[in-house]
Amino acid sequence: MSSFIESTIRGFARAFSNSLLAEAAASRPGLLQQLDPRVRLAGIMVLVISTVVCRQIAVIAVLFLLAAGMATASGLPVMLLAKRVWAVILGFTGLIALPALFLTPGDPLLTIPARHLAISSQGLRAAALLVLRVETAATLTTTLVLCTPWTHLLKALRSLHLPAELVVMLAMTHRYVFLLIGTANQMFESRQSRSVGVLSGAEQRKMAARTAGVLLSKSVEMSHEVYLAMLSRGFRGDIHLWTDFRMRVRDYLGLTAFIFAGLVAVWIGR
Amino acid sequence: MHIPDGYLSPSTCATLYALAAAGWYSALGQIKRRLATRTIPLISVFAAFSFVVMMFNVPLPGGTTGHAVGVAVAAIVLGPWGSMLSISIALAIQALFFGDGGITTLGANCFNMAIVGSFVAYGVYCVIGRGTDLRSRRRVLAAAAAGYVAINASAFVTALEFGIQPALFHDPSGSPLYAPYPLRVAIPAMMIGHLAVAGLAEGVISAGMVSYLQRADLMLLRGVENPARESETALPPANRQSPRRLWWVVASLMLLTPLGILAAGSAWGEWSSNELASRQTRAHIESASGNQAAPASAPAGLQRLSNVWTAPFPRYAPKFIKNPAFGYLLSAMFAVGFLGLASLLTGFAGRRRWTIGERS
Amino acid sequence: MDRTVGKLTPTFAGQNVSFSYEGIPAIRELSFQIEPGERIALLGANGSGKSTLLRILDALCFPSSGSVRFRGEPLNQDRLQDQQFALNFRRQVALVFQNPDVQLFNPTVFDEVAYGPLQLQWGREDLVRRVEQMLDFMGISPLKDRPPYRLSGGEKKKVALASVLVLDPEVLLLDEPTATLDPKSQSQVIDLIQQWKGTSKTVVTATHQLETVEDIADRVLVLEAGGVIAAGPPSEILSNPDLLLRANLIHAHRHSHGAVVHSHPHLHGHSRHEHDH
Repeated sequence: MSSFIESTIRGFARAFSNSLLAEAAASRPGLLQQLDPRVRLAGIMVLVISTVVCRQIAVIAVLFLLAAGMATASGLPVMLLAKRVWAVILGFTGLIALPALFLTPGDPLLTIPARHLAISSQGLRAAALLVLRVETAATLTTTLVLCTPWTHLLKALRSLHLPAELVVMLAMTHRYVFLLIGTANQMFESRQSRSVGVLSGAEQRKMAARTAGVLLSKSVEMSHEVYLAMLSRGFRGDIHLWTDFRMRVRDYLGLTAFIFAGLVAVWIGR
Repeated sequence: MHIPDGYLSPSTCATLYALAAAGWYSALGQIKRRLATRTIPLISVFAAFSFVVMMFNVPLPGGTTGHAVGVAVAAIVLGPWGSMLSISIALAIQALFFGDGGITTLGANCFNMAIVGSFVAYGVYCVIGRGTDLRSRRRVLAAAAAGYVAINASAFVTALEFGIQPALFHDPSGSPLYAPYPLRVAIPAMMIGHLAVAGLAEGVISAGMVSYLQRADLMLLRGVENPARESETALPPANRQSPRRLWWVVASLMLLTPLGILAAGSAWGEWSSNELASRQTRAHIESASGNQAAPASAPAGLQRLSNVWTAPFPRYAPKFIKNPAFGYLLSAMFAVGFLGLASLLTGFAGRRRWTIGERS
Repeated sequence: MDRTVGKLTPTFAGQNVSFSYEGIPAIRELSFQIEPGERIALLGANGSGKSTLLRILDALCFPSSGSVRFRGEPLNQDRLQDQQFALNFRRQVALVFQNPDVQLFNPTVFDEVAYGPLQLQWGREDLVRRVEQMLDFMGISPLKDRPPYRLSGGEKKKVALASVLVLDPEVLLLDEPTATLDPKSQSQVIDLIQQWKGTSKTVVTATHQLETVEDIADRVLVLEAGGVIAAGPPSEILSNPDLLLRANLIHAHRHSHGAVVHSHPHLHGHSRHEHDH
């Protein structure tokens, strides 16, 4: 059994579970779900930008707590966030930031004489800033995505003046990603069941490339058919999108709250 | 190579977003001109395909696995503009939907992988594969090289973005506010992983797919924009004088550049203000100038202006290179590479190669 | 289009239509006439040209030689450039593709059914009302906000049908509508087609499933290698095994009944058949 096939198939399965998770969370009654998708998008964007602009660790920490609070109030369990976001980032960015403790020049905080290493306070600050920022931003965006149906997110982007063509392309790409994942999954599974014994490295590479090649041909072929289907239903080049968003009082309040929080954070944390 | 939020400063993000936006805007215009109403389904489905290929765990020589971006194949099949757009869309979906890569850094990621990657891949593929038969082995090698070089170019640009953060963005006490490593750490750290693993993954997938297409779907290799006849190749026909020969000439000249060291002193008229102050140099100048005496010190204007600009490679030797011969060689390689890339880019931007666009 | 002319002018009239794709001929010198209100079955094996013919009828590709007319109007690239004519044509003639995934390119079921009306720029309230009515009619209202990749084969087919029927077209072109469907969905689709019998709707169905032909068509055109080899009412065509064999719609292989082994043309899909030996 080729391990690369297995790990690739596992990756595919994860993509599907991700989408199911998003659908489940989006239908739960929670804090964010009460707000118009445009407000959700704009508000979270404001907070993410504030997180990146802020320079004080304490303020970013508050933003993190705010993000975590919003997430739980919107129906996302803490364990889920911890497993999917916080632990992953701690492992990845934490590891990247670790050498910075020792490499950043500055006032030594902690010395390890045996190894002639010193942790500088600047290094500690830099590492903490980086990890905290990444965690906060990721919590915010994950909350947004898991609490909003994908189609609403896209249509919200349109109202933020993203060109209609790009929105339609994002929508269509997303729709066909799952179809192609299914096709690729089938191809891999059938190859896995056909192969006897362990394949050599070169054979495995050939299989990966071949699967990709077949997928490419099928994809382009399918895009031609989709084009014909679009023409058949009257497509002539203009984009007409269907949106059903209406702003209510609570949406205006929510938007104001987001912007206020963002501005305060940037001001205090400058 | 997907940069998360928090690694780059707001101004870095904004600048790269602006560059990326310029790229997307131009790409959309170019593609619509060539594909007209076919644009949406073709670019979208191709973006979906790129997304799925990015998920493949490519087995590599040595037992490791790596992930490819698919930028080389995209550039080959769709051309650089189409590739730019598709890969950007795939990256956007990765960031928005799967949290792979940040939102404030989406512009940067698209610039590094989709824009720089597409143009470098396309350029390398054209340079190596131009004029050869669609089914030739050279095309497969061209694709492998295109993939490998493009990924490493993307990684290099990413490393540059990381590396300048500490110097430009730090708090009063000196702690870096964003990515904490300077260039001399960031560049090797990024490049090692990509030279050894990710670049290979890209090369393997690109070569393998081109090889497959050569057997199974030659039409695609021609490039989807060109509904050309069997006899035509996808790239513009080579000039009668094969450019290959020209590249060999350039390469040999590059290798011979260290000979410049043999020439002692500075060329006539190229003296710096320091040299004019030295008695020894003035003696040389006199003997080389038909016994005309050199001025006693550097003219005031020269003194003033000589501090305005310091070249990146002063005296053809970057600071960290100790050996002057190697310094010459490096300078030459850098210059040729830079000029080559610049000419390729301006050539593509200006030329209207794809004259056959389908109207709906 | 002027409906009063419809009684006299054939809906579709093809003269010596030929079409090649990448050098391979798909349709050879086909001439045909389809009257308004007819229900036609295009019978043929894969590769016989039936899908191609449907696409030509839907003006998605144009013949390399010969001509096709829709209600007297020529169907060619130039004519379709005219916005008014094109939008009118797209509303009146609907094609349901064999592969529903290519026809379901919108993010949700509602978006999909609303797509056609949106292109034709219907008013907002009208649009919502008609779309919801159609979803109700097809029994897929609960699927309104589902993305296509979370639908079963039968559900996808219903969404595809809903998305074209919402425009109330006069002509329906169906490419293998019952292939790959489970028996229940198959019968639901066949019921739908049967409902159109006797109405002014013209229906052209391409299929290779012989058992459905009686229910869905009044006239059959048998296609083989891009040409029509026979035409007539279903009863006549279906009772001609040599014809069906030639068109690769049935097969003859050896099979056994108890101790007797023989071979004759037959069609699988029934578990037992009886005949004299």
